[in-house]
Amino acid sequence: MIPTPALEIIVLVWGLILLLAEAFTPKIDKRVFAFAGIFGLAAVLLGSFFLAPGAPIASTGFWSFYTADPLAIFFKRFALVTTIFVLIMAIDYAPTIRMGVPGAEPHAGLGEFFALPIFTCAGLMWMASAIDFVMIFVSLELVTMSFYVLVTFTRRNPATLEAGVKYLILSALSTGFLVYGITWIFGVTGETNLARIGLALTTNDFDQVPLLFGLLLVLVALGFKIAAVPFQIWVPDVYQGAPTPVTAFLSVGSKAAGFVVLLRVLTPFLILPQVGKVLVAMAALTLLYGNFAALPQTNLKRLLAYSSIAHAGYLLVGVASFSGTAVAFYLVGYLLMTLLCFAVLIVVAAHGGEQIENYAGLAKRSPFLAGAMLVGMLSLAGVPFTAGFLGKFYVFDAAVQQRQTVLLVIGVITVGCGFYYYLKVVRAMFWLEPPNDSPTIRVSVLSRGAMILLIAGIFVFGVYPQPILRALEARPATSTAATR
Amino acid sequence: MSPFFFWFFSAMMLVFGAAVIINRNPIASALSLVVSFVGLAALFMTLDAFFIGIIQVLVYAGAVMVLFLFIIMLLDLRAEERRKINLVAFGGGLAVALVFFGQLYLVIGQLRQAKQPFPPLALPRVDDVRSVGLLLFGNYNLPFQIIAVLILVATIGVIVLSKRELR
Repeated sequence: MIPTPALEIIVLVWGLILLLAEAFTPKIDKRVFAFAGIFGLAAVLLGSFFLAPGAPIASTGFWSFYTADPLAIFFKRFALVTTIFVLIMAIDYAPTIRMGVPGAEPHAGLGEFFALPIFTCAGLMWMASAIDFVMIFVSLELVTMSFYVLVTFTRRNPATLEAGVKYLILSALSTGFLVYGITWIFGVTGETNLARIGLALTTNDFDQVPLLFGLLLVLVALGFKIAAVPFQIWVPDVYQGAPTPVTAFLSVGSKAAGFVVLLRVLTPFLILPQVGKVLVAMAALTLLYGNFAALPQTNLKRLLAYSSIAHAGYLLVGVASFSGTAVAFYLVGYLLMTLLCFAVLIVVAAHGGEQIENYAGLAKRSPFLAGAMLVGMLSLAGVPFTAGFLGKFYVFDAAVQQRQTVLLVIGVITVGCGFYYYLKVVRAMFWLEPPNDSPTIRVSVLSRGAMILLIAGIFVFGVYPQPILRALEARPATSTAATR
Repeated sequence: MSPFFFWFFSAMMLVFGAAVIINRNPIASALSLVVSFVGLAALFMTLDAFFIGIIQVLVYAGAVMVLFLFIIMLLDLRAEERRKINLVAFGGGLAVALVFFGQLYLVIGQLRQAKQPFPPLALPRVDDVRSVGLLLFGNYNLPFQIIAVLILVATIGVIVLSKRELR
């Protein structure tokens, strides 16, 4: 049995070991460290199924900041899986990284590029467990800080540099909103711990307006992290300019951690009726903006950026309907299909470009990649028997139960939009002729394996969602294992 | 706390904070920032938070800003040329700031604590430094350790992003 806090410590120590080993072995192929990182994270992922039950929430000390409830453990595994796939993509992407980094040696800068996501992963795992505003703030900052570096990593590319500066400035601004909001909430309730804030709110003896003001400021900061309208301005440029594995990491890891924090932060405030209205408005705007702005895109990376905003909208419908399970399941589907699309994007972009026209006739050049992209796009659009469909189903089901008619209508219309722009890529791959001089595309064994895993995941969870729903139930699987 | 000191030091902070942005000469900007930090330190002092006040002067106004000035002088930056003010952006920014300020004003009017005088602080049993240390290494140990990781990541980032030739 492993105590839950040991997971982050192992991840962190493994990252430090890799970083030091990298510094003392200048001559070897740096991709070894990516494999070592994948191996370490996979071991931690395996270990997360043998956890000792965590302590209950305490009033002070460690367990007043950190929780090991099923939601936390679920999102720790989520962060680990995401980081493993990001590292696999980073191996394929290494030549592009090498071109974007100054240095004469053949593997300059790659060691850090493989080590930093491991620290980000530790931050994401702490975010999943954070139940105190102080803890939320420091773990969120750890994640953001490492993303500043990762987004700007290929700094010889001007587009990346622009993306990095935009991300830095807007993210720092949103952090300012977060801290200011926390001070207001602390000022009204006298607490930073979310459970005790909930207690303070049940006494009915608090100033409602300043409290809502504080919560609104916190929502601005979290809206930035999950790319919800009207805080989405940074998304298209940053997603397009960042190195592609980092874009995938941003759009899956950062967003999922943002949603778990959002769920935790909102829980004590749900007794205030105004909170629901703000969430409904945000969800509706995000759905409309993300889907309609995606329609005219011609660059696939940018299209996926707008699609990421659109999916934040569906997730917000789940949040506005107070269904944590629907949100968590949707995020699993989102992880599988988004990572799949980015993995294909990296391979194809190495042989052509990121424009949709580069995908013309992909079915003839590489049937495997075209098939993988087809599955990814169909799942993103929400075709039945894929995880994407079931995710939307659960979210809309929660919305029906909460009688969110407006959101339902907007949701159904925007799903229709989604079919148009996702299938545009499918049309290019299968209906258009490839350019004459196009080379055949080779896929490395590792990427092929990763893509097959993701495709299998999309179909398995599309028809058999029970394992995920069970993992989210109140009793953690670990405690049943302990009593057995 | 005497209200006079509060208004005096707050005004000092705001005026010099604005001067940081308005000045086109980087050295003048940095020096304005020093004065703004000193005002902040004085505000902490008037709130009986002597330790934080002194740290503010030592670390921010002292060490960090001296480093800033050194770098600015070493880089030999010229004063930025006066750009034409983009009226739309200026008006938009001003409108957002005014709306935010108005909202803040209304919200503070609703805050009960804002209408009461400060309750007297209980005399501390141990000195400031010791109580800050006890909190950081006691109750807040976990966030404190995570900050250590954060600083490590920031250090790696600075090296990766600023080194001329990576290895």
